[in-house]
Amino acid sequence: MEIKTRRRVRPPAAAPPGTGAAAGGQRDVRAKRRPAPSRRARSRAGLRRFALFAAPGLLVYAALVLVPIGIAVGYGLTDKNPFDPPTEFVGLENFTDLSSDDEFRTALKNTVVITAIVTLATNAGGLAIALLLDRRGWLYNALRSVFFVPVVLSAVVVSVIWQTILVDDGLLNSMLRQVGVADPPGWLSDPGLALYTVSWVIAWQGLGFCVVIYLAGLQGIPQELHEAAAIDGCGPLMRFRHVTWPMLAPAVTINTVMSLIGGFKAYDQVQVLTNGGPGPGTTSTLAFHVVQTAFSGNHIGYASAMAAVMLAMVAAISVVALRLLQKREVSS
Amino acid sequence: MRLTTRNPTFLRAGALAGALVLAGCTAGGSGGDTSEDGKVALTFLTFETPNLDAEYWDAAIERASAEVPGVTVKKLVSPSADRTGYAKQLDSTGQFPDMMIGLNPAGFAEAGKLAEWSDAELANYAQPEANTYDGKVYQLPYSTQATLVYYNKEAFARAGVDAPPRTYGELLDAAADLRAEGINPFVVGGGGKDTWADMFPLICTVATDIYKQTPDWLSQRNEGKVKFTDPAFVSAAQKVADLADEGYIDRAGLSRTYADTEQAFRDGKGAMYPMGTWFSASADTKKPGFETGVFAWPTDDGSAALPGVTGGGMSVSSQAADVELAKKWARAFMEDEKNLDAAVEADGLIIDIKGYSPPPGMGPVYRATVDAYEEALDADGVVNSFSQETGDGSLPPGLADKAAAGVQKLLSGSMTAEEFGEYMDSQWDKATR
Repeated sequence: MEIKTRRRVRPPAAAPPGTGAAAGGQRDVRAKRRPAPSRRARSRAGLRRFALFAAPGLLVYAALVLVPIGIAVGYGLTDKNPFDPPTEFVGLENFTDLSSDDEFRTALKNTVVITAIVTLATNAGGLAIALLLDRRGWLYNALRSVFFVPVVLSAVVVSVIWQTILVDDGLLNSMLRQVGVADPPGWLSDPGLALYTVSWVIAWQGLGFCVVIYLAGLQGIPQELHEAAAIDGCGPLMRFRHVTWPMLAPAVTINTVMSLIGGFKAYDQVQVLTNGGPGPGTTSTLAFHVVQTAFSGNHIGYASAMAAVMLAMVAAISVVALRLLQKREVSS
Repeated sequence: MRLTTRNPTFLRAGALAGALVLAGCTAGGSGGDTSEDGKVALTFLTFETPNLDAEYWDAAIERASAEVPGVTVKKLVSPSADRTGYAKQLDSTGQFPDMMIGLNPAGFAEAGKLAEWSDAELANYAQPEANTYDGKVYQLPYSTQATLVYYNKEAFARAGVDAPPRTYGELLDAAADLRAEGINPFVVGGGGKDTWADMFPLICTVATDIYKQTPDWLSQRNEGKVKFTDPAFVSAAQKVADLADEGYIDRAGLSRTYADTEQAFRDGKGAMYPMGTWFSASADTKKPGFETGVFAWPTDDGSAALPGVTGGGMSVSSQAADVELAKKWARAFMEDEKNLDAAVEADGLIIDIKGYSPPPGMGPVYRATVDAYEEALDADGVVNSFSQETGDGSLPPGLADKAAAGVQKLLSGSMTAEEFGEYMDSQWDKATR
């Protein structure tokens, strides 16, 4: 609004020279002392102010994010091994090697599985719980806090807790034995099961975030829309389908994109729960494989190439998901 | 330029932010650090285990610092038992510690990151040539750790096994008897972050079936003369796979961490526990509810082949703030008698420093452990310890982790011994490419 007003108000035209009018002369002097800044000057001043306030943040961001990314991508073009100098430029060799690297492909496949499970489970579970908690009362307020607690805990702490529950002679299997399951599953020791167990733990921790976002979305839906739909004869399911779900589109966008990014970055839980096992690469994710290759195998250059590919994939998937989901927001 | 002239505030703010950022990015490594009291500040990388807790390290550091004035030691603790991996991470961020204990020097030594110990500095050490790199020593060889089999004497008695097995055939018989009695024969772990803990059966079979006959087998592998797919190595791996297939190794253990595995043995969840000699201290100080015995993993013919590794001591960074002072402090730490006593009591070490005798009050499991070691030593039967070797002829960096991951599959039955051999060869090629 302010901008439009400024456009409408134009500065008065300067009095023609030699009119001699006192008032007009006074205005003329003032105009000379404080000429109205041109649009270009105002723009420059705005830019300066912006730069002044943004510079510290941009510098920090550049130093801690952009420069390291640049360095990592640069390393990806070398055969850097801190224990086998000198480092030589190898061009795109590391990137071409990745295409035939079985371990990298396994880690990528595991990461995709984890990401898919985490995205689906946190969104479905988060929405279901948010619908249940979208009520008034102290109990619901308390439950919202309870569901959010895992989000604020360290992933390592969460993993250690789940480890005590999920080991073969842990709490869960002890309970299963109590109810007559003679040979309960090896949640973390069975190679066919461990990846899903790790996915579950990651999803469990991320659930609270989705609950909060969906709750905020639900509380932003005007009650009138529900009432109008009810008057038109919609039952609860129809109201969810035609009112709630479309109006939750922004929340779905946020939760989906955040879950996708979180799933692709999975590391801590894998390190603590399975160390990438049981067996070679069974639960190894991209992030885990990058760290192992860099700091256990000493292949910093090759690991940096993996990290660069991982960054590109996360960025591409996030952008595509964002675009697709935002289209839905517009149409709703 | 106009911008800076007209609005110096912008320049100042930018400069301040830049300075802060650069200050934040400055590595906290060595490089001439001096503390406020004028002492040289040195970082010391340690690791904590159930035996070697924070209290042990703090007391030992205090004693060494009392002997070497002018040093302020900042203790760094590896987030897991893998202090070598953590040292690599610190190195890559310019924070390589000044002093490290129990580090695998492979890679660091060849790259010139560690200071060499001189003959004079090694004069007190009984086996100074234990782990050399091109004839040079980068880690004080102050102790030996071996892998033995600790066993539950009551479980053995219940199963009618009167004496510890002397041949591999007797070991299988004992396992069968225990199984028949409903007792799980072997407790083996390796879950969570402690995958390395599943290696002990393979360490033993490689020692008895390969290193006994060919002590320089890994050096030969490095030269391409032998391979992991050769019958000898496959046979050693097959023994481990067979133990699991027969149900002698409880696969439930694959999800247990190292600490949980030790606890499982203490809780009587298995009769035999192939483990490093450090367990002896724990078995004496926190006695399980049964009497613990110990024997060396037997060979087919009953001859001695005990896997052991000598080293484990201090390494000093070649870039330490004051290398000579760091070496002096490191030797004080290693050679202080109270520190050695504490290490023996806490971690069951077999000390390789001339003239040292363990504290007289050491318990029966430790004494039996030392006896088993000395018996093998007398029979010229101490061989290298697969995946734990240091010095020339050790595994390439990262391969010990890969081996441990492979053993998980071997034990779970989802990889055959031949496949394990092929896997190890492919991993070797990758690691050395």
